[in-house]
Amino acid sequence: MTKKSTPLVTINDFSMAFGNTLVIDNLSFDIKRGETFGLLGSNGSGKTTIIRALLGIYQPTSGDLLINGKPYQVDSGIKLGYLPEERGLYKKESVISIMTYFGRLKGMSKDDAISWSNNYLKRVDLLDKANTRLDKLSGGQQQKVQLGVTIMNNPELLILDEPTKGFDPVNRRLLMTIIEEHQATGATVIFVTHQMEEVERLCDRIILLKDGQGSAYGTIPDIKKKFNGASLDDIFVKIYGEQDEMNDSERSNA
Amino acid sequence: MHNLGVVINFEVIRTLKKKSFWITALIFPVVICIVFAIIYFSNLATNQAATETKNQHFTLAITDESGLIKPTLLAEFKASTINNKQKGIDAVTNGKLDAYFYYPSDISNQSVEVFAKDVGLFDNSRYQSVAQVLLEQSVAPNVSPQVTSILQGKVNFDATTYKDGVPYDGFAQLIAPGLFLVLFYILIAMFGNQMLTSTTEEKENRVIEMILTTIKARTLIIGKILSMIALAFIQVITILIPVVLIYLVAKDQLGLPIIDLSNIPIDPIKMIIGALIFIFSFLLFTGLLVAIGSMVPTAKEAGGFFGVVMVFIFAPLYAVTLFISAPDSPLVTFLSLFPLTAPIPLMLRNAVGNLPPIEATLGIIIIAVSAVVVLMIATRLFRYGALEYSKRLSLRTVLGRKR
Repeated sequence: MTKKSTPLVTINDFSMAFGNTLVIDNLSFDIKRGETFGLLGSNGSGKTTIIRALLGIYQPTSGDLLINGKPYQVDSGIKLGYLPEERGLYKKESVISIMTYFGRLKGMSKDDAISWSNNYLKRVDLLDKANTRLDKLSGGQQQKVQLGVTIMNNPELLILDEPTKGFDPVNRRLLMTIIEEHQATGATVIFVTHQMEEVERLCDRIILLKDGQGSAYGTIPDIKKKFNGASLDDIFVKIYGEQDEMNDSERSNA
Repeated sequence: MHNLGVVINFEVIRTLKKKSFWITALIFPVVICIVFAIIYFSNLATNQAATETKNQHFTLAITDESGLIKPTLLAEFKASTINNKQKGIDAVTNGKLDAYFYYPSDISNQSVEVFAKDVGLFDNSRYQSVAQVLLEQSVAPNVSPQVTSILQGKVNFDATTYKDGVPYDGFAQLIAPGLFLVLFYILIAMFGNQMLTSTTEEKENRVIEMILTTIKARTLIIGKILSMIALAFIQVITILIPVVLIYLVAKDQLGLPIIDLSNIPIDPIKMIIGALIFIFSFLLFTGLLVAIGSMVPTAKEAGGFFGVVMVFIFAPLYAVTLFISAPDSPLVTFLSLFPLTAPIPLMLRNAVGNLPPIEATLGIIIIAVSAVVVLMIATRLFRYGALEYSKRLSLRTVLGRKR
């Protein structure tokens, strides 16, 4: 068995309810070490809930969500880079102090964190803003800083929740490059998105979520084959369009 | 442990960089300096004015029915005598005299009356001063200096009281353990709001998910609490240094008492009890502030709840005389053992010396257990409430979660 074939993330019989609303219903899948995995679904299909439960931010109603065979904890030893859907940093702090703080929390020495941050800021043309307060930067510049904080300390597992949401084309291209660089180093990437073009370009395998369950799961060629060679866009529309039509029908009958 | 140090370092340094911290820290000593300067220069000006006023001459007449005023003194003051009170008043009202004093026959039961030309609010006092000086100097030769001191209330008393056969100064005894009460007040009053802001900051800035996947919520909260304590000490030192310097440099000019620290008694038992009450009380209220900050979306909204906490903490101050005069009353016992009101009664009674060992032990246990429970709930609230960016979290929702 190759290293890439062993699962880094295992999700078994995971269910999640908020009050009486069942968001995830007995879901199981795994993500192999070193692969780039796409978590796809319409708005409200539970993608972010899965990520938050995987990272211990939410507690599952039932089931197991494991990284390296155990529930994730910050001291479990895996180097994690997480770009959440809800984004923000300490607005009134300088760029370099924010990056140094996160670098140190991720286990880097102060000197290494500063050095890494300066190299990154130079790469993204923000070196002259190192001592500027975050809220004095433009939205696009803040995104670059957030991305830098996410990938500090070379994460083994990179989780990006709708990473291109709100990104301008320049930052989107930067993000894609960074993901490819991490793929090349053997990092495992979990990619939550609506952008099928990016999924086709980056992902080894995907899962499409519908009604809290996996409606399609596997490699992109296998899924396309299952849907008679349709494009991912068409598959997405076919799966979620039916749901929307059903919802419309339910609404009109009500 | 590494991350705890990183959090403390980050929180302390960024707070020290804020102008608001230094404004708050320096405003107190600056105000103290201004107040002392005003007192000093006001005293100086008053003394000068009083001396000038005393030396000013004015035309004066008196009627002495008491027979106490010595005629030789009247000559010194260039004062004349008038036999009729009404004539004296008329002489003042028609401008022939600046002042007229009427000494009645029995000054122990009747007032000495002063009638004079108005020379302004401050300068008008000179007339009464002269009337009094005339009287004092007239009778002074008739009594000994000791009797004069006694009558003027200038006798010093030096009392020594004994407890269990050894000298015991009740007031001095409360100074050292009373410092815990002062420190508690300073910490909560100065840093309560900052703790709330600090707790809601991650949520308001939407940074909480990145933080909670990088560091344990408990470590972050403990780091924030410890950094608040460190900042409080920095602030206290910032306040104390100028106060001590003013005292050392200008204590004579300001007429401040001489403080000999070596005379302050230290009772180890009281100090240990005071320290335990202080530590657990601080943790209890910090936990409450973290819990409040975690339940609401913004620091602004947390402010209202903070006010309620402050009422619980400081409401017992209204019963302060009761803690000293009736320590066995049911109200004092209740306030001393109810966790939210206990800190001030317990610390005050410990300082005064009327806190029985059983009540002290029970009070410490109650506050310690409450602090642990509140901190655990606060950590849980922080962890789960942090994702509620826009709505207030219910305690039932959080406590109902599985882990």
